[in-house]
Amino acid sequence: MRRRILVFTCLLSAAAIVLTAVLIHMAVYRGFSERMSREMETECDLIVSAVNLSGIEYLRSIQKLGSAPRITLIDRDGSVLFDNGWDASSMENHMDRPEVRMAVEQGVGEDARFSATISKRTFYRATKLGDGKVLRVAMTTDSVFAPIPRLTLITLAIAAAVFAAAVVIGTRVTRRIVEPINMLDLDRPEENTVYGELAPLLSRMKRQNDIIAKQMDEIRQRQIEFSTMTDNMREGMLLLDCEARVLSCNRSALELLRANYASPVGHAALTLNRSEPFYSAVERALAGIPSEEKLSASEKRLQVMANPVRDGDVICGAVVLLLDVTEREDRERLRREFTANVSHELRTPLTVISGYAEIIANGVANGEDIPRFAGNIYDETQRLIAMVGDIMTLSRLDEGAGSSPRERTDLDELVRASIQRTSEMAGGMSVKVSYEGETVEIIGVRQILDEAIINVIDNAIKYNVEGGSVSVTLKKLTNDAGKPAEAVLCVADTGIGIPPDEQERVFERFYRVDRSRRGAVQGTGLGLSIVKHAVKLHDGKIEVKSDGKHGSSVILRFPAA
Amino acid sequence: MRDGYRKRLETLHTELIRMGALCEEAIASAARGLLDELPEYREKAIKLESEIDAYEREIEALCVKLLFREQPVAGDLRQITSAHKIITDMERIGDQAADIAEISAFMIGSSVKSDIHIADMAKATINMLSDSVDSFVAGDLEKARGVIESDDIVDGLFSKVKGELINSIASNPQLGEDCLDLLMIAKYLERIGDHAVNIAEWVVYSITGERKGAYDLPSGG
Repeated sequence: MRRRILVFTCLLSAAAIVLTAVLIHMAVYRGFSERMSREMETECDLIVSAVNLSGIEYLRSIQKLGSAPRITLIDRDGSVLFDNGWDASSMENHMDRPEVRMAVEQGVGEDARFSATISKRTFYRATKLGDGKVLRVAMTTDSVFAPIPRLTLITLAIAAAVFAAAVVIGTRVTRRIVEPINMLDLDRPEENTVYGELAPLLSRMKRQNDIIAKQMDEIRQRQIEFSTMTDNMREGMLLLDCEARVLSCNRSALELLRANYASPVGHAALTLNRSEPFYSAVERALAGIPSEEKLSASEKRLQVMANPVRDGDVICGAVVLLLDVTEREDRERLRREFTANVSHELRTPLTVISGYAEIIANGVANGEDIPRFAGNIYDETQRLIAMVGDIMTLSRLDEGAGSSPRERTDLDELVRASIQRTSEMAGGMSVKVSYEGETVEIIGVRQILDEAIINVIDNAIKYNVEGGSVSVTLKKLTNDAGKPAEAVLCVADTGIGIPPDEQERVFERFYRVDRSRRGAVQGTGLGLSIVKHAVKLHDGKIEVKSDGKHGSSVILRFPAA
Repeated sequence: MRDGYRKRLETLHTELIRMGALCEEAIASAARGLLDELPEYREKAIKLESEIDAYEREIEALCVKLLFREQPVAGDLRQITSAHKIITDMERIGDQAADIAEISAFMIGSSVKSDIHIADMAKATINMLSDSVDSFVAGDLEKARGVIESDDIVDGLFSKVKGELINSIASNPQLGEDCLDLLMIAKYLERIGDHAVNIAEWVVYSITGERKGAYDLPSGG
């Protein structure tokens, strides 16, 4: 804009200068010509009156004066009688000259001719004398343009100076005009009062500013909503463009993929996870096929769901959802195993019972066998009852059993009672049970605690070897203040032990360390599961220690009352 | 045109990541084929070798094209030249993984491997390779240097395995063949560790322009 204004200013001043110069030249030329002809008129009149007085002699006398005007005396017939610059006899007839003819007709004649040969301009004035002759005075100037070069030079100099001034002033003026425009506060267009002409533009700008601000607020709001939503999702979410670069990605996605990226946006999705299932899921989604894959990232198992994002017919990206399915899969596996185990465990005794019953019913059995068969049926029924009891206990624990009344319970008393109740079985297996303990009270459900303790001791005896031993210790741990903090019950056996990688699984329902011994040892496979739930209900902890070969110890910890 | 150039550089990066991922998979498969005696994993490791080779050729062509068409300088040039070197190491890793798979086919049912620390060695090697590919993916200088330092762990495990094998042969000469096979596998694993170190060194080079063992050269080298 500044440039434009400046250029216009310069052009304008240049045009003004040129025009002025031309006009001045024309005026000067006109004035000069007029003065010249006036001067000649006077001179001519003077000479004519002199010639009238003194005759031709006068002319001859002035001939000698060097730079005088050229004077020609022409006879009535046009022949030249005298000329002070030329030889009169050699000159042609002058009757055809316009000024001479005019003088003959009207008394006075004038003309100006430009001689190309001498490049000079000559003014002629002819006057008819009293005797009919014509006297012509001619004055030659270098031309009326003669003074003009000097004038032009001056004009040029002045023009240059004026032009320079015009440029300087123009620059300043431009700056002055433009500066307020540059200083406009476009954030608050209405507050500007510089040029009235800008007001419509500014008010329109303000309207647009308001619209933009509103839209920006909306967008920001939506962005915040979106990121709040995605960042608080447990599922990982990735938004990819059509080249599989990350457009957006939430925190969970980074955590699930174990990507230690500050900001993966703009990078290839492959940098987050380069495993084949992930890549193929993304690739298929970008080809328009929704796909699901499983992948394992460190110890976790993830489900990857990739879906194409379409804009019309064009696939412009993909949304990838990541779900941590580790827990779900584990739970599913447990449930499947539980169902399979439960049906197996319930069926085995039932098959036995129905088999013996069938034999008796058909009368195939000998009379002396019947009591033995009945005994077997009784045993299996007992086993079923125990199992159903255990399952009921478990489901009661599953439901929380929180409603059962809690009371101060002495663990010492419960342990002693449990050992008493299992002494018969221990004696049968010749397993020696020793106990060492003190009175420790905790707050809990007596019946459940009892069940847990007897299960632990029962297990220790059942899974022991012939002639083995079980040592039970109950200790009270105190905290720094000397108050009882924890009751620790440790049941150590000399049995077959539990391999380290199975120690977590012994608490699963129906899980048994040595499956081949399933039949040999009477048990429901639910014991430790019950113990675990019971301990959990009392905010305690359970722990199994075993080297997997010789013996194992189960340690229960309860917060003391 | 420059837009296309950036895109091709990006392609180079992602292709290289894919090749790295295949190498990781190959060595993991080979290890499982050896330790868990699962034939499908052995086959997978052998199949992956040809896939890795195909990637090597493709990336090589891409590198050459980039070098001659775009005449890259500075960081880009380093990225391309180091990619060109990395694929050579990756290709060797693929070969060695396939070799391990082939040898382990002869070792099915052999009791030797349970007593030898070959599983630890495989695990350490896989970790090293994983880390070096990670460092490449994220341009992580620290991780790359970590890989270079961790070479000693695999080397140490190799000498340990070697010692154990010597004892094993001495005490039980009829297991000699299995022991020698296992020594080969251990050597391959150790070589894979070296390749992982090479990759890490190229990563360091592409980031800093420093080449290990080239410090004494005049600058600008």
